[in-house]
Amino acid sequence: MSKPLEVVIVGGGTAGWMTAAALVSVLKPNICTVRLIESDEIGIVGVGEATLPQMKDFNEAIGVIEPDMMAKSNATFKLGIEFRGWGPKGTRYVHPFGKHGAAIGGVAFQHQWIRAVLNGHAYDINDFSYPIVASRQNKFEFPAKDASAINSTYSYAYHFDAHLYSKFLRAFAEPKGARRTEGKVVAVTQDPENGNIASVTMESGEVIAGDLFIDCSGFRSLLMGQTLESPFEDWTRWLPCDRAMAVPCDRSTDFSPYTRSTSQKAGWQWRIPLQHRTGNGYVYASAFISDDEAREALLANLDAPAQADPRPLKFKTGRRTDSWKKNCIAVGLASGFLEPLESTSIYLIQVAVMNLLRLFPRTPIDPVLATEFNRLVDVEYERVRDFLILHYHANPREDGELWRHVRSMEVPDSLNAKIELFRRRGFIQPYRDGLFAPPSWLSVYAGQGIAPTGYERLADNLPLGEVVPRLDDLKTRIADRVALMPDHADFVRDYCPSPAAVDPAQASSGIRGAVA
Amino acid sequence: MSRPVAKLVVVGRDAAAWLTALGLQRAFGRTGLSVGVVELATTLSPVDAYVALPTLGGLHRLLGLKEREVLAAAQGVYVLGQRFVNWSGGQSGFVHAYDTQPMGVNNVELAQYWIKARGEGMKVAFEDFSLGATMAKQGRLSLDAELADGFTRPAYGFHLDARAYVGLVKAHALRGGVKLLGDGLGEVHADGERITAVETKAGERIEADLFVDATGMDAALIRRLPGSDFESWRAWLPCDRLLATSAPRLDPIPGFSQIAAFRAGWIGLYPLQRRTAVIAAYDSTQVDDGAVLEALPVLTGLKPQGEAIVSALEPGRRPRPWIGNCVAVGDAAISLEPLDAVQPHLIQAALSLLISLFPVDAGDMAEGEAFNAAMDLNARHVRDFQIAHYKLNQRRDDRFWNRAREAAVPESLAYKLDLFAARGRVAVYDEEAFQPPNWTSIFLGHGLMPRDYDPLVDLLPPQDQVLQMQRMLKFIAGEVSVMPTLQSQLPSADRGASS
Repeated sequence: MSKPLEVVIVGGGTAGWMTAAALVSVLKPNICTVRLIESDEIGIVGVGEATLPQMKDFNEAIGVIEPDMMAKSNATFKLGIEFRGWGPKGTRYVHPFGKHGAAIGGVAFQHQWIRAVLNGHAYDINDFSYPIVASRQNKFEFPAKDASAINSTYSYAYHFDAHLYSKFLRAFAEPKGARRTEGKVVAVTQDPENGNIASVTMESGEVIAGDLFIDCSGFRSLLMGQTLESPFEDWTRWLPCDRAMAVPCDRSTDFSPYTRSTSQKAGWQWRIPLQHRTGNGYVYASAFISDDEAREALLANLDAPAQADPRPLKFKTGRRTDSWKKNCIAVGLASGFLEPLESTSIYLIQVAVMNLLRLFPRTPIDPVLATEFNRLVDVEYERVRDFLILHYHANPREDGELWRHVRSMEVPDSLNAKIELFRRRGFIQPYRDGLFAPPSWLSVYAGQGIAPTGYERLADNLPLGEVVPRLDDLKTRIADRVALMPDHADFVRDYCPSPAAVDPAQASSGIRGAVA
Repeated sequence: MSRPVAKLVVVGRDAAAWLTALGLQRAFGRTGLSVGVVELATTLSPVDAYVALPTLGGLHRLLGLKEREVLAAAQGVYVLGQRFVNWSGGQSGFVHAYDTQPMGVNNVELAQYWIKARGEGMKVAFEDFSLGATMAKQGRLSLDAELADGFTRPAYGFHLDARAYVGLVKAHALRGGVKLLGDGLGEVHADGERITAVETKAGERIEADLFVDATGMDAALIRRLPGSDFESWRAWLPCDRLLATSAPRLDPIPGFSQIAAFRAGWIGLYPLQRRTAVIAAYDSTQVDDGAVLEALPVLTGLKPQGEAIVSALEPGRRPRPWIGNCVAVGDAAISLEPLDAVQPHLIQAALSLLISLFPVDAGDMAEGEAFNAAMDLNARHVRDFQIAHYKLNQRRDDRFWNRAREAAVPESLAYKLDLFAARGRVAVYDEEAFQPPNWTSIFLGHGLMPRDYDPLVDLLPPQDQVLQMQRMLKFIAGEVSVMPTLQSQLPSADRGASS
C-alpha cells in the first residue's frame, strides 16, 4: 500500500463540494486526503438549479439522505422538462424521465405509435408517457418498485438551490474529513521538471502542496486553462447563446414537478420551481438581442413578482481539450460549458467525479489514466452537445434571426443522419455510454415536429386492429393511475418541507403560463 | 411514393445463406415479404464444424429452433469457453470462459482484487474464480443452476457439425416459407449501385427488390457494385491457410474448445458428440500443409480420421457490406479465421441489424449507411480481439510468433492494451461483441499483468480480501462438484430430442 494521495480542490461551489463529498465518503483516509480551498469573496455561478435523475444515484452513492438534502436546499421534484414553443407554433412537449409506452409485439413503442398515426389515429405521444401525464397535472409520488406496474415507468430528479446544496454538501463532507481553507489563490507553482502543479500559494502566504489538484475554479479555469494552458474548443458555431439574465420570483400556485423551457426570440427562458421561490432566466445570443431587451423580455414573462434585479451572466460554449492533464483534473465550468437547456451542468460534474473514482490515481500518476478519463468525458460532452444542437436545428420557429441561423447552420454529419433515420422510419440509435437514451431522443424528435413517414416493418406483424385497443388501454391505464397521485405541492410539504417554504395558499397566482 | 420491399433473394450457401433467409422470413414473411434462396453448392465437408458463442442460443430462440433439437441433429456440444495452450507459457494455458462477471466488493471488479493478490504472491489463477472455467475444466454443466449473487454467471456456446446444422436450418427455413429458387449461379446483372437480376445456372432470370450476398469469399453479387473493394487485414492476422479434419471423439467430453499454438499457427479441437472437429490455421510461408497434417497427432494427441481439407484464408472485409440493394453477409462481407468463435456471431450481427434497419422503401435504401457504420465497428472490435491473442504471445523460438508479437496493432487495440497494462481496466466502445470480462480473461490469461491495481481495492482490509477470495473458491468448488457431467446433459439423435 502506498501513502494516501493528497488531493487539493481549488474552488468550492457545486463542483468543488460534490467532488469533496464524493471523495471523503467513498474513499478512506488511507487512500486520500481532501483539502478544499474557497473564498467567500468569490461568488459562485450557481450552475443549474435543475438536475437529471442521475443526481439521485450520486446522492445515494455517497450516502446523502434524500428528504434531509431536499429540505435544506428548498428542493422540489422533477419528472422532466417541458418545452414550450420549440415545436410547431403553439405546441409544447415534455422530455420525460421515463419511456413512452412499452414494446408491443417485441417492437419498440414508437413504431406502433407512428403506424397508428399514419393510419389516421390522432394519438398524442405525450399521452403514453406516465411522467408526462403526471407532470401536466402537477402530481408527484415515488415510482413503484414493481417493474410490471404502470407507475414504475419513470424516474425523477430535483430542482434545488445550488448554493444551498453546496452548503449542504459542505456540512456533509467536513465531518468526514474534508478540510476547508478559506482564502484566495494568488499564485500557482509548477514542478520545473515535469510541469505538474506542485502547489498553490494563498493570499495569506500559505503554500498548499498536493499530489492531485482538482480545478473547480469555474469559468476562470485557473489551473487547467491559465496554468496548464489546455486549449478551449469553441462550440459557439453550433450553440450561439452566450449570455443569460437570471432572476428569482415569488413562488406561484403553479408548482410544477418539471422544469420549463420556453423559446424566445433570441434564445429561451427557464423556469424552475423551488419551495421558497421560482428561479427564472433568459439564455440568449448577444449577436441577436441586446442585454436590455433580454432583461425586459425576462421580466415580462414571469408568473409572479420578481424578487431582485436580473443578474447578467456571460459564458462561452465549448470545452477544454483536456479535462485531466498532468496532475490536474478540471471539474464543472473549469472544464467546459454547455447551456442548461437539458439540465446537464451538474450531471457533467457528476460524470467527472464518478470517472475520477473509477480511475483514481496513485503517484506518480499514470498518464494513461488521464487519456481514458478524457475519452470518457469527451463522449459525454459530445453527446450532450449534439442533443442540444438538435433542439435548435430541428426547430420550426420562424421569428427571430437566431432561429433562422440555427436552422440553416451546418451541423455534425452524424446528427443529420440521425434525424433523417428518424424521419424515414422512427429509428433511434442506441449507444453504450452517456446521455441521452432513446426515449429522450424520441420525445424531442416528436415534440419538435419531425413527423416520421415510416416505421420498422416488424410492427406490421401485429394487425393494426389489435394494436389500437392496446394503445387505448395503455392511455387509459396511465390516466387512471395518475388520477390517484397526490399533488406535487402536498407531497413536498409532507416529505421534505423546508422552513423557508412558502405556503402554497400564499403563493402568487399571477400570470399563469408564460408565452409560448 | 415509397414502396415496401416485396421480394428478397438470398444468393449463397451454408449457414450465412440459410440463417439469414430464415431470420428474414420469420421477421417479415407475414408482412408480405417473399424470401427466396438461390443456393450454391456447399463448401462444407463432412469434417467441418461451426463454433459459436453463447449469443447463438438467443438467435435460435428468435428463429424458432429448439436448442435440444439443434444439439441432437448436429451432434451438438455445449461449450463454456476456450482453452488456450502453448500461446504464452504455462503447461495448462488458460480458459477464456464465457462468464459474465459481477462487481466485486465496493463496486470494484474482481480482477482488481486478483491483481493485487497476485502481486503479493498468491498462486491461484484468475480463471479459478470463474464458475464457467471451473465447470469447463471439470466437464460439468448444470443447465438451470440457481446461483448466488456476486458470482460469475456461466454462459455456454456450441460446437455443431456444420453440414448437419445447415441441413437443419435449411429444412426449417423451407418449412417456414422460404422458397428455393434454384441451384447454382449464372450471370449477375448490375446497373450502377443496383443488382437488377441474377440468373441461376439453368439460366432462369430472377429479379428482386433486395439481394443478400452470402456467396462467401467470391462475393459474387456485391463485387459487381462500385465501392465494394476488399480491405485486407493480413498485416495483423498472419494465417493464410486453414486445414480441417476430424478425430475420434473425446471421452469424457470436455466443456471447452482447445486452441493450441504451434510453430506457425494454431490448432483447434472442437468436441462433438461422435467425433472431434479439428481446424488448423497457419501461415503457409512458414509451414506446408503436409507438415501440419503430419504434426497433428503429436500436437493434439489425436489421430486424424477422414479427409483433410485445405483452404485459403484471406482475413479482411469489405468496408461497405451494404451497397444499393445488396447486403453482403458472412465471408462475402468479412472473412476472419475461426479463432474465438466469431464467424456465426458476425452472421448473426448482420442479420439482427438488417432486421432492425430493414429498408422501408424499395426504391431508396438509405438505411445502408447506418448498417455499414455499425458493422464497421462490430467487425473491427472482433478483429482486435483476435489480434490480441497474437500480439500477447510469449513464444520466443518461432519466427511466426516473434513477428506477430512485434507487429504494430491497430490503434484501437493498442489503446486497450495500454490502459489494461496500466490499471487492469478495459476501454469499451459501442457495438462490441466481447465485453470487459472477455477482454480481462484473455489479457490476464496471456500474461498481460497490469502495473497497478485500483487503489479502491484497499478500502477492504487485507484480511477481508483474503477471506473473500477463499469464500469464492470454496463456493465455486462446492457448486461444481455436485453438477452433472456435461456429457450426460447432451441430447443425442438416437435418444431423441424430447428429453
